[in-house]
Amino acid sequence: MSSSADIRSRGKALRKQTKSTKQSMLVGGLTLVVFLVLWELLPTIGVLNRVLIPTLTDTIWGLGQLVSGGYWWEDLGSTLSSVVIAWTIGVTFGITMGVTLGTSPFIRTAITPYAIALQALPKIVLAPVLIGALGFGSQSKIAIAVAICFFPVWINTMVGLALPSAAEFTFMKSLNASRVQVFRKLQLPSSVPIVLVGMKHAMLLSFTGVLVAEILSSASNGLGKLVKEFSLQLNMPLSLAVITVVLTIAVSLVSIMDVLERKVVFWSESERGKNS
Amino acid sequence: MTSIVLGSKKTQQTTKPNQRKATEVQKNNDSNVLVRLEGVSKKYQSGSNEIIALSGLDLEAREGEFLSLLGPSGCGKSTALNIMGGLLQASEGKVSIAGEEMTKPRRDIGMMFQQAVMFPWRTTIENVLLPIEVFGLNKKDYVAKAEELLAMVGMSEFANSYPWQLSGGMQQRAALCRVLIHHPKLLLLDEPFGALDEFTRESMNQELLRLQSHSGSTAVLVTHNIAEAVFMSDRIAVMTSRPGRLIGVIDVPFARPRTPDLYGDPEFTKLVVKARQMLGLA
Repeated sequence: MSSSADIRSRGKALRKQTKSTKQSMLVGGLTLVVFLVLWELLPTIGVLNRVLIPTLTDTIWGLGQLVSGGYWWEDLGSTLSSVVIAWTIGVTFGITMGVTLGTSPFIRTAITPYAIALQALPKIVLAPVLIGALGFGSQSKIAIAVAICFFPVWINTMVGLALPSAAEFTFMKSLNASRVQVFRKLQLPSSVPIVLVGMKHAMLLSFTGVLVAEILSSASNGLGKLVKEFSLQLNMPLSLAVITVVLTIAVSLVSIMDVLERKVVFWSESERGKNS
Repeated sequence: MTSIVLGSKKTQQTTKPNQRKATEVQKNNDSNVLVRLEGVSKKYQSGSNEIIALSGLDLEAREGEFLSLLGPSGCGKSTALNIMGGLLQASEGKVSIAGEEMTKPRRDIGMMFQQAVMFPWRTTIENVLLPIEVFGLNKKDYVAKAEELLAMVGMSEFANSYPWQLSGGMQQRAALCRVLIHHPKLLLLDEPFGALDEFTRESMNQELLRLQSHSGSTAVLVTHNIAEAVFMSDRIAVMTSRPGRLIGVIDVPFARPRTPDLYGDPEFTKLVVKARQMLGLA
């Protein structure tokens, strides 16, 4: 059979593993070292104002102060739990809205104008209103974060459900598949990659929403409140320490979502691009 | 002969001659018509213009035969096929399958398109079993058959690979297995190998003929390749465009199984020339 050679070569390509990118890791590591050295050096020799921009060692000292403070765990916990709760609510709401609008043309037509207006709205302007309505506690934090984070999930779910090609819909129709079957076996799996991207954005937006709420409302707790207070005291080592913590959390959240993405949508176009 | 189940190669060889004879008998026997189109037209409204895609098509496909719809693009051959498959409704005329009027896609029909349409989140064998899931049948009962079909097209090794790990030709092989998994009475093939290169295409056509004669299904193939139509078919419905309509039907008397030697046969060339003349190309 003329195809056996084709099949064999395909098999080889399948087994071929991608080489580790040692070189890019080396470059990355070097850049980090240079950055850390400059961070320590420039404020020390006076090129940068050490009061405003503390050195690396100042920041590490600040981090030690921060972690040993009694308030620290409570603030960290408050922020993290609010982020996770808001994200869960936002994602649930976003997916529900996306599926409802993505599968019902009537509801889509009815809601689209409001959706467009809501998308254009810089949702942070709702923060004072929500704080006024819900008080300074974690409820208002969560409400603000939900308002900010649910939108990409909603839109991406809607877009994802419309993603299958005409040929794919025709194929399902040729099997006389019901609408529910087309949804479950074609539209839903097709939408997963783009919904996960929306969920990843929502994670960072939820974090932003919680921090903004903490900075805005004077009586709440959390990392946002800490960075505001330290900055007002011009205690820059501690401010920078909090920012370092925020950065670490954000990178961790994105990494978790990336791992999840690779596991769930190993078959998607972009994932295959990364692997080859 | 409708109950020939896909089996080992041995049964395949023993059933073939009988089947061939049966087809010949059917040619003059009206009761063995599986698909019947009577005065079928399809019109589209485009602004204030009416576009006639297909005009007054009278055609039948007989049980077990291989029928081709041949013609240039715009001759309505795909429209006719989609009407037979229940994907499109005829504007005028009657369509019946096995004596029943056609209203929506039926489960005893298998359709294959130019694109393989393999879902990337399913392995090859899961894709092959998809129709079974949609029909609400028990998948377990069909796993062995799916494996057998994949073995017949030389893809056993790739049953658990994903479609994006396969070449275009291999994806169409898998699609061929998928269309045969529920043993359809009627195969509707819309240029299934049109996107493949010439060499792969030829071997796929051989594969298709082998599987079709093995399953005993009736096949209707849409193509614009004249030699391909002559090589594959028992009968060729030659069509022309603007408006899409049937010019005539060519009988192709060559014995089966057909081998590439046929391309060198002077009779083969005569039929190709005849088709060209009907299409106004010669």
